[in-house]
Amino acid sequence: MSKQPTLLVRAYWAAAVLALAAAIAVVLFYTPDEVTMGPVQKIFYLHLPMAINTFFACLLVFVASIGYLWQRSLWWDDLAAAGAKVAVLLSSGVLATGMIWARSAWGQWWTWSPRLTFSLMLWLLYVVYLVVRTSVESGQRRAVVSAVYGITAFLDVPLVWLSARLMEDIHPSSVTLSGQMRVTLTLWFLPVTLMAAGLVLARFNLTRRIRERGLTMERRFHPTGMQVSQGVA
Amino acid sequence: MTSVLRQALLIAVKDLRIESRSRQTLGLVVVLGILIVTVLGLGLGSQHMSGSAATAVLWVAYLFSGVLCFEKTMTVERQDGAMAGLLLAPLDRGVIYLGKLLSNLALMLAVAAVITPVGVLFFGFDLSAAPLAFFAILGMSMLGFAAVGTLFAAVVSSSRLQGGLLAMVVFPITLPLVIASTQLTARLSQEGQSWNGSAFAVLLAFDVIFLVASWLAFEWVIEP
Repeated sequence: MSKQPTLLVRAYWAAAVLALAAAIAVVLFYTPDEVTMGPVQKIFYLHLPMAINTFFACLLVFVASIGYLWQRSLWWDDLAAAGAKVAVLLSSGVLATGMIWARSAWGQWWTWSPRLTFSLMLWLLYVVYLVVRTSVESGQRRAVVSAVYGITAFLDVPLVWLSARLMEDIHPSSVTLSGQMRVTLTLWFLPVTLMAAGLVLARFNLTRRIRERGLTMERRFHPTGMQVSQGVA
Repeated sequence: MTSVLRQALLIAVKDLRIESRSRQTLGLVVVLGILIVTVLGLGLGSQHMSGSAATAVLWVAYLFSGVLCFEKTMTVERQDGAMAGLLLAPLDRGVIYLGKLLSNLALMLAVAAVITPVGVLFFGFDLSAAPLAFFAILGMSMLGFAAVGTLFAAVVSSSRLQGGLLAMVVFPITLPLVIASTQLTARLSQEGQSWNGSAFAVLLAFDVIFLVASWLAFEWVIEP
């Protein structure tokens, strides 16, 4: 594998950055301010696509975890790890944008409203996934522990959502958007999704390369080709 | 079906017999639970503790003592290659899970049987409105908690790991259970509160989902 990013990768990231620039331009110059909340409402166009992509990243962790338990190939484990890292990144973004919005809309950074609580619990679930990975040393064992956790965590998500709803709600349950706002929102899905998918792929490729490098070095010292899995978190 | 239950009971009874002879876990865990209740009670100022605060304190005690119980029942198998023997026995792997679940559940209920009265005494908790409902909720919560704990104890304990990893893994997963259970219990202590159907549904769904999922996953993850 070459060290330089391929043309395809460069074109991909160029497209993602262009889409982001276009989306920012649209939000600044085209989209109208919301009547009651003012310009702060525009953070919503970043907030919602990140939230949706968090869900897909969690789904990826779930599918890759099942794939690992089924085929016992570290390929799946690396995919799950890449997905979880991006899930944590995205849900951190969701929490941060949500808190900024809450500060201006309700006057405080944090309330124990269902959706905030849900975002926090989801963030915790997947942060723990990453912590678990760093605390198990051997490759196969770590993969098993992470896979079981990845599956359980995803099964837990609907329950977390339902249990968070047992609390009282002040979060806007349905947002009414004008036509221009809807266009902006749709447009924002493009860069966020491109970047999330790109990050997953980049992380995944990096881990694969480290693993391959580790294995080739291992072969150099053990000409029998004894494969020792490397510590790639 | 009866043979499955009999085999699971054999494993559970074996675990409990080891526990009754070694007395390693239960004493430690019960004292730890009482300590937690005392420390939190003192810290929060037990004079005016609301129902939900009292149940939350109890849950902290259950969670920590539960994790210790799950760890102990699995470390028993790690000694002297007992796990290899258990896996070689002509049993379905799901039955091993069921047996471990039963012994964990028995230990947890024993612990709860001591910690809960202590909490009730300390915090002046009024259970007279619906004692049966309280025990039903507690039993269901313990079942869900033990279902997740047993699975992860099997996964986590098999390798040399840093302590506290089991707690780290089980706590975030059990959050919905804790929320649903505390909501239900807090309502019981307040007179005239309506029955919270959706909290009960979450509790039930948690039990069913994680019993089935853990039972299915167990045979993939258990190894000597």
